[in-house]
Amino acid sequence: MVRFENVGMRYGPGPEILRDVSFALEAGSFTFLTGPSGAGKTTLLKLMYLAEPPSRGLITLFGTDLATASRRLFPALRRRIGVVFQDFRLLDHLSAFDNVALPLRLSGARMEDFRQDVEEILTWVGLGPRMHAKPPTLSGGEQQRVAIARAVVARPDLLIADEPTGNVDPDMGQRLLRLFFELNRLGTTVLIATHDRGLIATGQSQELRLVDGRLVAMPMVRP
Amino acid sequence: MNLGLRAQQKSVLPREAGAASLDVVIAIMAFLAALSLCAVLIAQRTAQDWRRGLAGKLTVQVLPPARGPVQPALARETAAAVQVLKTTRGIFSVHELSEAKTERLVEPWLGKGALVADLPLPRLIDASVVPGRHVDLVALRHRLKTAAPDGYVDDHRHWLARLSRLADTIMWSAYGVLGLIAIATAATAAFATRAGLSAHHDIVELLHQMGAHGGFIASAFDRHYLRTAFFASLVGAVLAAIVFAAAGGLEYVGLKPMPFLPPLALSMSQLTWLVLIPVFGGAIAWATARLSVLAALRNIY
Repeated sequence: MVRFENVGMRYGPGPEILRDVSFALEAGSFTFLTGPSGAGKTTLLKLMYLAEPPSRGLITLFGTDLATASRRLFPALRRRIGVVFQDFRLLDHLSAFDNVALPLRLSGARMEDFRQDVEEILTWVGLGPRMHAKPPTLSGGEQQRVAIARAVVARPDLLIADEPTGNVDPDMGQRLLRLFFELNRLGTTVLIATHDRGLIATGQSQELRLVDGRLVAMPMVRP
Repeated sequence: MNLGLRAQQKSVLPREAGAASLDVVIAIMAFLAALSLCAVLIAQRTAQDWRRGLAGKLTVQVLPPARGPVQPALARETAAAVQVLKTTRGIFSVHELSEAKTERLVEPWLGKGALVADLPLPRLIDASVVPGRHVDLVALRHRLKTAAPDGYVDDHRHWLARLSRLADTIMWSAYGVLGLIAIATAATAAFATRAGLSAHHDIVELLHQMGAHGGFIASAFDRHYLRTAFFASLVGAVLAAIVFAAAGGLEYVGLKPMPFLPPLALSMSQLTWLVLIPVFGGAIAWATARLSVLAALRNIY
């Protein structure tokens, strides 16, 4: 599903943020990405959801070598990935419903076909009554739930979440985690970056631990 | 309208703050473009009128003699010239202009009154050529020289050529202005698109990140600028139409047209050409915005 081989990353002439990172995520796996602040977690996620190219090394996504693949393939690859951004990145002029419907619009689906899906997922994350509200009128926790609903609504093959429960209370955090596990049970590969050790202890999952740009705990890369 | 349809129509871009100034700039440029287009139409119509009025016509001018009594000599030579014209093959009508009419012709230059009355004005004879027939001007001049030594034939070819050049110059100048306005519109749209891209960089990046094709993102921008440019150009074209309709109405309130200037009034069928202004204005803005966005997206990973 995802394979990093000797991946290094630096921004411009600055120091290397990631060094010789190698790991593989099997299809259907559930992984936590942990590490102290500044360890390079967000950078690693950016490489995985195709926001940045690596400075060196090879990344293979859904069986496609990104170094040699045509850029024309990237939109289709990106649509197979759901991302929960740490800063949510919601469109303020759209309602919660329209924000969540966005990935489905991008995939060309018709609104009448997915309206029910969007309403269901918003109800699941506890925003049924507020689906017409715009992000600036929502609390931080509510915005985070809209961002999560948007990332999972299209049932992506790979879900990447950066601190997805940082702004919600523990009960809602557990509820959202159950949503991720449910999605994983249906076949989605999940990678969650978090500081929350309590979250990691809740289920059968593997852990990638980054310290100072290097992986110190990782699932083995198969030869 | 149900929720789904409402959401589907919702643009991924918010209405830009400061977009009203773009509307004003495009409306002004559309107004100028409409004026240029009207100038083209007036130049074309005037050139046609001139050509239609002078083509197939000959004018014989009998000048006052340098010596001797003027009026008897003028009358004699004019009668002789008329006779020559009437017996020339290819000419079907000969008409001698009265002195009063000749005085009216010079009135825009010299005014009227005692000065004109005292001037020895030439006599003018208007002759019409059978359409499609050729008149042997060399032979005509030769016969005229014998019958009326002070008579000169003018087939208006020289005058027609000059008018034609003038009309063409006006027309091509107006086309040039139209071209410059089109370039300025495209540059404005490109500038506005770049500003829009910069203002909505986070939205563009998010859509790109979510797997939106360049065409999807570009269409969010180009539709916006198409709408803006179309309606702003429509306002400019309507204003120009009002100006020319008002110019046409001046005659009805008693104001005379300026001498030597063609009438500014345009017919309804000519005014319908102004429909092209919003169509082209919208198309230019649409294409420029689309190309600008696609070019900018190519620079994102």
